Amino acid sequence: MSLDIGVFDALLLTGVLLAAVAAVLVPRRTASVAVFLVFGLLLALLWARLDAPDIALAEAVLGGGVTGALLVDALASKQPHAPPRRLWTVVVGIVAGTIAFLAAACVVSRLSGPTGELPRLVDDQIATTGAEHPVTAVLLNFRSFDTLLEIAVVMAAVFAATAVSDRSWARELSASGELRTIAMALLPVVALLAVWMLIAGTTRPGGAFQAGAMVGAGLVIAHLTGTRHASTRGRWGEALIVVGLVAFILLAFSTAVAGEGWLVLGESWASAAILGIEAVLAVSIGVGLARIFLANRNEPGEAR
Amino acid sequence: MTFVDLALLAGPAIMMIGLVGHLLIGDLLRRIIALNVASGGVMLVLLAVAAREDVPDPVPQALVLTGIVIMAAVTGVALALARRVDAVSDESEDR
Amino acid sequence: MRYPALLPALVLLPLLLSAMVALVPRGPRRLAGAAASSITGVLGSAVVLALMIDGGSWEFALAGWEAPLGITLQADGTSTAFLALMTVVGVAVTVYAAAEPRLAGGPDFWPLWLVLWAGLNGVVVAGDLFNIYVMLELVTLAAVALVALGGRSAAAPALRYLFVGVVGSLLFLLAVALVYAETGTLDLLQVTAALEPGPVLTAIVALTLLGMGAKMALFPLHAWLPVAHPAAPAAVSAVLSALVIKAGVIVLWRIWFGLADDATAVRALGVVAGIAGAVAVFWGGAMALRSSRLKQIIAYSTVAQVGYFAIVLTLADGSAAGWSGGVVLVLAHGLAKAAMFLAAGTLAVAYGTDRLSHLHGAITHTPMTVAALGIAGISLAGLPPTFGFVAKWQLLMAAIEQGAWWWIGVLLLGGLLTFGYTAAMVRATFNRPGDDEVPAPHRVRSVLAVVPFTLAIASVVFGVFSAGLVDLVAEDPTVRGHG
Repeated sequence: MSLDIGVFDALLLTGVLLAAVAAVLVPRRTASVAVFLVFGLLLALLWARLDAPDIALAEAVLGGGVTGALLVDALASKQPHAPPRRLWTVVVGIVAGTIAFLAAACVVSRLSGPTGELPRLVDDQIATTGAEHPVTAVLLNFRSFDTLLEIAVVMAAVFAATAVSDRSWARELSASGELRTIAMALLPVVALLAVWMLIAGTTRPGGAFQAGAMVGAGLVIAHLTGTRHASTRGRWGEALIVVGLVAFILLAFSTAVAGEGWLVLGESWASAAILGIEAVLAVSIGVGLARIFLANRNEPGEAR
Repeated sequence: MTFVDLALLAGPAIMMIGLVGHLLIGDLLRRIIALNVASGGVMLVLLAVAAREDVPDPVPQALVLTGIVIMAAVTGVALALARRVDAVSDESEDR
Repeated sequence: MRYPALLPALVLLPLLLSAMVALVPRGPRRLAGAAASSITGVLGSAVVLALMIDGGSWEFALAGWEAPLGITLQADGTSTAFLALMTVVGVAVTVYAAAEPRLAGGPDFWPLWLVLWAGLNGVVVAGDLFNIYVMLELVTLAAVALVALGGRSAAAPALRYLFVGVVGSLLFLLAVALVYAETGTLDLLQVTAALEPGPVLTAIVALTLLGMGAKMALFPLHAWLPVAHPAAPAAVSAVLSALVIKAGVIVLWRIWFGLADDATAVRALGVVAGIAGAVAVFWGGAMALRSSRLKQIIAYSTVAQVGYFAIVLTLADGSAAGWSGGVVLVLAHGLAKAAMFLAAGTLAVAYGTDRLSHLHGAITHTPMTVAALGIAGISLAGLPPTFGFVAKWQLLMAAIEQGAWWWIGVLLLGGLLTFGYTAAMVRATFNRPGDDEVPAPHRVRSVLAVVPFTLAIASVVFGVFSAGLVDLVAEDPTVRGHG
């Protein structure tokens, strides 16, 4: 068995594995979150090396950015003392994990080679989908039902986080003048970035998700700096959170009733429909993620 | 063995590291991190599968994009719950 | 419009209604939620009726793309049976939750309940493996949030439930990745045709068994259930035990009976699942006998009954009786368990607790609720003429057919244990001398007793008229893919 792999790739793989081990082993919360962020970054690099640069960007923005922000924010609460596990459970766990890995490695090495049939089908049909990039074609046309349900998952998560929260996020924050100036400077930049990512998404995959994460980041900044009229609270916030799913489902119903069937996009208007859906999805994902972030916060000075 | 083959092996390895860590750790925040590590491993498997073709297969890549968003949503809910659990156990300690 | 085009509506309509109900202010949300849930129930019954009249199996390709490019939904006799259960229990829970908001967790209940219903319908009709993963995540998130509505003390059980659910999903997702790597498709029917026997197939089946075993609380992965199910509001507990568990069951069965072959490794997995199931029947039953709280008894009873769903993996192999027995058992358990948890909620409202030691006198105070507990228990124990009896009888036939005497013992002893804890629950409600001096329990609205009683009666009536259902289900493929 010969190894056919560059030095950089080898270092990257080793780095990802080490970061994974470290993220799990480090006992302190702060260090654990820091190592996890490094792990996310290395993982994104690895994915870029696996011919998936756009997925890598999504991982950096969503996996690293959103999850990272949530985790860092969670550090504010103090780490409760957790009793250490007994030695034998640790040993059993590690042995079981190793056996499971060896079995998985054995299975993975016996996979039959790719048939290439499905990518070929995607390639044959992509001209009729209204999307230029194959991943976008899969996400918003071939497997649009998955994407619709994914938005439903985000909505359910927002409902869940809101139901669990103590509702302190619903209050207005007052902020100092300087913070407001920072927000005034930052928000237009974030908004521009979001729009750019959305437009770029027509030729590159997943525009809606990266743009949504940007919208979310902007809203969180707006909330933390006390900017008025930019918060996700109240009736408007709720409406923006559900509008993505509602628009998607209404499109599905109208194609079923007036068109050729559930979610069948006509060739002539498919690209317009995809861009429209991506825009509302970006808004809903953004506002939804911001709400999950806020629901996770306990505003300073408010004792539970 | 090529880079893709090794990545295909690294995926299950990272997943097992995450899962074993998740099951052995007591602290809730760290358990959530371990779960995210495991999820990264599964996504790596899918992307390595996609990269076996000469031109990367867009289907597993799309699945990963969906998977990442779902995992971010799950993490948000898990953290909200963990915060509540920690708050409740804090109170019972203070009493 | 052709009938199969109704299938996507089973998922999309409740999702749309959920989004709209979430916009209704918290005050009048109960009304809007009840209306939306009723619409979902009407749609569900319409689809079940159409499926029964049509008799055949439905397939529907979404977005106009046939598999492997697109996502397919499918429905057969088994889907019909599961959908019928979702609809009956769904409507009952809706009525119950609308009557007493405290037993549902307040206004946050309604949007989450509609999402959960959409996800459950979706898992039952999904024909695409990755689509199943997304549906399962939808179900898990909604179910976890509903558990968390049980108050501050419910947060820890809810988080534990979320952890188990996500680990199960990740294991299943790895199986899906292996399927795609090996066959180049995600469509269940195409995968069944394309997957060759070998270590990859064994790994896929093993990962699914482990992942779904965690989700359906199969022994020894059950420890989260007796904590999470009782922590939830009563209406939610009923949904969790009656319906959410079944999402894991149907995914496991579909993969197992679609893919598993006769290889030694797969046979060994079947034996392991069978042993785990048998231990679950005894362990769950014994723990239920030892518990002193109503909801905990019922939750442990679910642990025991899940054991049978694992035993079906071996009993139904190539046996129509075993297969229809398994599906009927899912229905019987769903009806009985929903009736029990709702009855427990009613008693908890009346007495302020569900401790057995505080329930004496309930049999004269609210006889209908106690009757619901008793009848549902008799159905679970498998005594005639109930639905549970039909299920156990079919399983017994399958066991005799295959000469599997070992399972007959498990079936009989499990029934005895069930009878035991049911008797314990009912006996706790008997009057004791001197009860006149005890302060009277709170009055409960009669609908809170009627709903569980109706479900319990349904588990008897369906038992008497179940022949058609058994035939409907028996036509589904029961032989394993390569057997």
